[in-house]
Amino acid sequence: MTPTALFALVVNLVAVAAITGLFANAGKMFGPKSIRQGDADMPYEAGLPPLSSAHERMTVLYHRFAVLFVVFDVDLAFLLPWALNRPRLDLTAMIAMTAFTLIVLFMLAYFWRKGALECR
Amino acid sequence: MNALAPQAALAAGVFAALGLGVMRRPSALVVRVLTLAVPVIALLLMRQLLPSATGLLIVADVKGLCWQLVIVAAALPLAALLPGDDVEAALFLGSLLGMSLLAVSGNLLMMFLSLEFMSLPAYLLVARAGTGSGERRLEAAVKYFFAGALAGAFFLLGLALYYAHSRSLTFTDQPLGFQGQAGLALMAVAALFKIGAVPLHWWLPDVYEAASPEVAGFLSTAMKSAAVLFLMRVTALAPMPVFAVALPWIGAITALIGSLLALRQQRLQRLLAYSSLAHAGLLVLGVGAWQALGRDPAAASSLLFYLGVYALLSNGAFIFLRASGVETRADLRGYAVRQPGLAAAFAVLLAALAGIPPTGGFVAKLLILWQALRAQAAIPAILAAVSALISLGYYLGLVRDAYFEEPSGPAPRTGDSWARIAVLACAIGAVVLGAAPLFLNGFTGRIWR
Repeated sequence: MTPTALFALVVNLVAVAAITGLFANAGKMFGPKSIRQGDADMPYEAGLPPLSSAHERMTVLYHRFAVLFVVFDVDLAFLLPWALNRPRLDLTAMIAMTAFTLIVLFMLAYFWRKGALECR
Repeated sequence: MNALAPQAALAAGVFAALGLGVMRRPSALVVRVLTLAVPVIALLLMRQLLPSATGLLIVADVKGLCWQLVIVAAALPLAALLPGDDVEAALFLGSLLGMSLLAVSGNLLMMFLSLEFMSLPAYLLVARAGTGSGERRLEAAVKYFFAGALAGAFFLLGLALYYAHSRSLTFTDQPLGFQGQAGLALMAVAALFKIGAVPLHWWLPDVYEAASPEVAGFLSTAMKSAAVLFLMRVTALAPMPVFAVALPWIGAITALIGSLLALRQQRLQRLLAYSSLAHAGLLVLGVGAWQALGRDPAAASSLLFYLGVYALLSNGAFIFLRASGVETRADLRGYAVRQPGLAAAFAVLLAALAGIPPTGGFVAKLLILWQALRAQAAIPAILAAVSALISLGYYLGLVRDAYFEEPSGPAPRTGDSWARIAVLACAIGAVVLGAAPLFLNGFTGRIWR
């Protein structure tokens, strides 16, 4: 790895850390400062004391959407290089990518039909 | 003929099964016909395949072609016995597709892909297929999943080390440095994990016991064949003499431990799982001998023959459990009085598993031990023979239970007639293959040309 590449990597890492840190903490940093006053800080649940922590575990249903998202996200990772190289590719590549997209579409239809997209 | 035609048929079968699942009410009969027809079509397509030019990812050599034949043939009993459920059909065909892709993959990345492809549906198949308590099966499936994920991680780590050292994802004849050797060893560990060799066998009995019998048969035959080929391909990547020394020992110890643990089992499916472990040991011994003999085609063909025979025996023995409803050794008492035909078939299968002469099991064991002796691995060969002697203790013990004990308790609920037919067919096949030296003479010489 050349020093330039290493430097670029470090810059990238720092930038990623800074931007995500900014997003995660922007509210705390720039928002109006709250005045700490005991019970008033608690989440409001119709005047009742909160029943449980706000930081609950996610159900596995949410996980299913995450997996589905990853599937279609990875498909995009295949589509983009293909689209960029499209002028130089022949008919075979066109057919291959069409078949690939059709398979993905079929799987989407399958998930839909099997009720994997229901918000329950 | 395209070298991937059988795989294309299997992939089409997966899509057809999923497509049936999209329909509102898929007909169980159509799904069952599909499940059975697709592997048969794949087998028919394989008849016309010849060893052909190798591509970047695919290598259609004799070994791969023969192995995919055995793998798909070993899956036929499960194909015939699966209920007409579209998801299970898709999982089964998908797993089979992964196995046959593994058989022809000539590149480590392709190998990893097909390894995952064959394993992931198998975990779900363990969890889903079959009747009875789902909780045990779910637990076994999770255990299987973690074992498989661990094997996959080992393989990827090994692959990375191997690639970093040799800049190659395929065969290399350069001598490897420490890094490359460590990578190769890690990949071999992944393969041994999949085979279930001691000490990486802890997941195997639980999974085989909890899965429904026909799925356990599928895992112990088709999956094991694929795993053995995987081990052979990985250990043949680069010259590494340690395999020729280590593998026979690992195999012999696996065979011994499998036989010893099987002696104490009362539940038949667990007993057969340990017996499967003992057979896996013999297969690993065979792979070691193959390595030591400089990847001799004769040693590879004796492995192939062993896997072919074992596909019949193990499938038959596991499916007997479904056909007869027998669960423990106590249920088996006096079974010959209740169901003479089925008991006789089971006795033949057990004799063949034990390696008693007029059956295919004897020839298969003999060939492997002979190759081990040729490879100068005398002590592991003797240990494996001792394990075969120990295994007589439980195989013949089962025969005694069925034939020389009085029936007691209520008769076990018998299964469907398809399962009986499968058991009988496997028993007949075991006897026919016992005469294999007569009609397979010169066979190995011809196919490896």
